Amino acid sequence: MLSAVLEQTINGLMAGSVYVLVALGMVLIYGVMHVLNFAHGVLLMVGAYACHFFFTRATGSYLLSILLSVVVLAVLGIALERAVFRPLQGNLRNQVIASLGLILVFENLVVALWGPNALQMQVPATASLVSVGELRFPVQHVLIIAATLLVVLLLFIFLKTSKFGTAIRATSQDRMAAMVVGIPVERIDWMTFGLGTALAALGGALIGPLFLVFPQMGDAPMVKGLAGILLGGMGSVPGAVLGGFIIGIAESVSTLFLPTDYRDSVAFSVMVLILLAWPRGIFGVQVRGED
Amino acid sequence: MRLALSLLLAVLLAVPFVAEKQPYLLHVLILCCLYAIPAVGLNLMLGYTGLVSLGHMAFAGVGAYTAAVLMVDARLGFWPALAAGVLAAGAAGAAIGAICLRFRTHFFMIVTLAFGLMLYSVMNNWDEVTRGAAGFPGIPRPAPLGSFSFGPLPNFYYLALGAAAAAFAVQWIVVRSGFGRVLVALRQDERLAQAKGVNTMLYKTAIFALGSAIAGLGGVLQVSFLRVAAPASFSLAESINAVLIVIVGGAGSLAGPALGALVFVGLPEYLRVAAEWRLVLFGVMLVLIVLFAPQGLAGLVKKARA
Amino acid sequence: MIAIRGLCKRYGGVAALSDCDLEIASPGIYGVIGPNGAGKTTLFDVITGLTEPDSGTVLLDGRRLTGLSPHRLARMGIARSFQECRVFPEFTCLENLLFGARGTHDEALRLLELVNLQGYRDEPAASLSFGQRRLLEIVATFMLKPRILLLDEPASGVNPALLDLLLEFIRRMYHERPCLYLVVEHNMEFIMALAAEIVVMHQGAVLERGSPQAVQASPRVMQAYLG
Repeated sequence: MLSAVLEQTINGLMAGSVYVLVALGMVLIYGVMHVLNFAHGVLLMVGAYACHFFFTRATGSYLLSILLSVVVLAVLGIALERAVFRPLQGNLRNQVIASLGLILVFENLVVALWGPNALQMQVPATASLVSVGELRFPVQHVLIIAATLLVVLLLFIFLKTSKFGTAIRATSQDRMAAMVVGIPVERIDWMTFGLGTALAALGGALIGPLFLVFPQMGDAPMVKGLAGILLGGMGSVPGAVLGGFIIGIAESVSTLFLPTDYRDSVAFSVMVLILLAWPRGIFGVQVRGED
Repeated sequence: MRLALSLLLAVLLAVPFVAEKQPYLLHVLILCCLYAIPAVGLNLMLGYTGLVSLGHMAFAGVGAYTAAVLMVDARLGFWPALAAGVLAAGAAGAAIGAICLRFRTHFFMIVTLAFGLMLYSVMNNWDEVTRGAAGFPGIPRPAPLGSFSFGPLPNFYYLALGAAAAAFAVQWIVVRSGFGRVLVALRQDERLAQAKGVNTMLYKTAIFALGSAIAGLGGVLQVSFLRVAAPASFSLAESINAVLIVIVGGAGSLAGPALGALVFVGLPEYLRVAAEWRLVLFGVMLVLIVLFAPQGLAGLVKKARA
Repeated sequence: MIAIRGLCKRYGGVAALSDCDLEIASPGIYGVIGPNGAGKTTLFDVITGLTEPDSGTVLLDGRRLTGLSPHRLARMGIARSFQECRVFPEFTCLENLLFGARGTHDEALRLLELVNLQGYRDEPAASLSFGQRRLLEIVATFMLKPRILLLDEPASGVNPALLDLLLEFIRRMYHERPCLYLVVEHNMEFIMALAAEIVVMHQGAVLERGSPQAVQASPRVMQAYLG
C-alpha cells in the first residue's frame, strides 16, 4: 500500500507539474490583464504539436525542439494579445467568448493539418527507466518534475528581482497605480501573455512524449490548472504552484480508492466545494473588481 | 414584422411539400431547430440576463437521458417522457444554478464549466443507467398522434418546428414581460437592480432553471430524432457551440438563436470543405464577431435596415 | 428613527469603520462629511446591506437591519444613490425612473421636468452627459418613495451651473415628503447650504455633529481635515 501511495504521489507530482505550468501562465495573465483565457489549454496542445514538428521534421533534438516550440508559442501568444484580447480590454464577457472561439480555431486547425489521430513522439527519456526504491519510472517523469521546479524557481527569482518581474507584480496589484508611476502597462500585457503561453508550450512539449500528442490533450490540463488556481486563490502566483501540485497529487492518489473514470469529477467537485467554502481560495487573495 | 413572421412560418410549413424529393434539406432544417432550441434557453441567460454559462448543453443532456431512461427502461410514452425530461432539466438548472449563481463574472463561468463537465462525466461513465460512452441506443420516435406518425422525416420536421416555435414563443413572452425587463436590468447593473428592491438571486435562479428546461426540450427532441443519446452531444465542445450560436446570431435579440443555428448548421452543409475547416471558420467568425459586431448577425441586419 | 451602534468593518489591515455610533431621531436632511477614508461610503454600504459589518447593528425604528439582504432593505424603504453614479444605461430616462418605482408615470414625468430632463424621457440613459446621468440617478431614488434616502456624493461630477437646480430639487422633494436624508458630500458649499445638521466622520467613527455653522467652527473638525 505504501509503495502504491508513493507511486501515485510521484505520478501526481508529474501530472501536477503540467497543471502548474498551465496555472502559472493563466494566473499571470489573469493578474496583469484580468483576462481568463480558456484557450490556454489549446495553446499547450499547439506547443506540443510544434515541439513534435520540430523534433520529427527539423532538428531531431528534443531539447532544441522544446526551446523552439516555447519561442514560437510566445510569439503566438503575443500576437493573440495584440489582435484579440487587447481590443476587448475591460469586457470580461467578450474576452471569454473570444477565448472560446480560439479553442475552436486551434483544436480544429490542428485536426485539419495533422489529422485527428494521436501522434507519437519517441524521445530517449521515455524509454529509459529510473528506480525509486522498488518502483521504476520513465526518466521523462523526473525530467518533467525537475524542469517544472526549475522553471518555478527561475520565475520566482525573476518576479522578485528583475525590473520586468517587478513591473508584472505592480501591474497585477494595481494597474492604475502602475501606470501612474510610469510602468508601460501595455508592454507588460503582451510580454506577460507571451510568457504565459511560453509556459503552456513548455508543458505541452514535456508531456507530449509521455501521453502522445493529440488535439484534446490540452483540455484536462486547462481545467485542472484552473482548479489549481482557484485552490490557491485567484491571482496568487505561489497559490497557483501549490494548487496545481495539490490537484495533481490528490487526483492520482484518489485512483487508489475511487474508480479512475470519476477522477475528473473528483477534481471538479473539490474545486466547487473549495470555492463555496473559501471564495478567495485557500491562500486567498482579494482581487479588485471581482465581487 | 408580423407579416414577415407569418410569411416565414408559411414557407417553413410548406418546405416538406416543395422539398418532397429532398430529404437532405429537411434533415438540415430539423438539425437547425434542434440546435436553435437550447440556444433560445442560453440566449435568455447569456443574451438577456448576462449570465455566461459554459455548461449549458449538459442540461440538455439531463433532459435527454431522463427521457431516454423513462422511454426505454420504464416504457413510458414519448409525451410524458418529454415533459419529465424538460422538468428534470429545469430542476437540475434550479439546483445547480442556485450554487453557480453564488458566484459572479469569471467565477460563475468556471463553476458552470465544472458542473457541465461533471454532468458529462456522469453521462459518460454511469454505464448502468446511461449506457456510458457508447451511447444510449434504441430511443423511439414519438408514438403517432391519431393517424399522424412521427416516423417519416417531414412529420418529424413538423414536430421539431413546433417545438422550436414553442421555445421562441416562450422567449418572446418572457422578454416582453415584467420579468424580462428585470432580467435586462440585471444584465446592465445588478447592484442597482438590488438597490431598487429586486431579489436578484431569485430572478437569476429562475432564468437559469427556465433556460435549462428549454435546453432539456432540445435534448429530448435531439435524442428522439437520432434515436440514440450520446454523451458527446452534451460535452463542453457542444456547450461552446451553443455559446457560438447565441453570439453569432446576436445575443439578446429575439431572432438571434434562429440566425445562429441557421449559420451553424446550414452554412457548413453548403460549404464543401472538411468538418474541421468549418469549425476553424466558426472559431474565427466568433472572434471577429465579438471584436467587430458584438450585436451579432441580428445586430448587423438591424443596422442594415436602419 | 435610525440607530447605528458600534459598527466595525475591517478590510485586511485597514479599519473602514471602527465602533461607529450614530443615532438620528427625527426626519431631516443630514450631511455626512469627513476626509477620504473616513468610512462614509462603507457606512452607506452597511446600512443598505451591501457590506456585512464585522460587528455592530443598524436599527430602523427598533428593527434590526443588519443581516438583511439589499433587496429586502430596499423594499423596506431604504433607497440610495451611488458614488460612481449608477443608472441602467440601455433603459430610457423614463424607464429608469419607473423601474422598481412606487411612484406613478405622471409623477415620473413631473420629476423629469423639475430637473430639465423632460426632453430626454425616451432617450437611453447612456446618451446623457455624466451630470445629467447623476440627476437621473437621484430623481430615480425619489421614485422609490423612501423612508430613508442615502445620497452618496450627489454633487460630484455635476456641472456647477446645474448645482443650484439639484439643490432646489432635493429641498423641494424633502418639503413634499419629509423623511430622513443622509447626504455624503465633499462639496462643502453645497452640503452646508442643503443640510440642517452635519455629521463629521473621521477614522471610521463619528467625530462631531451639529449645525453647519457649529461644525465649521469646530477646531476638532479642522484638525481632522488637516490631519
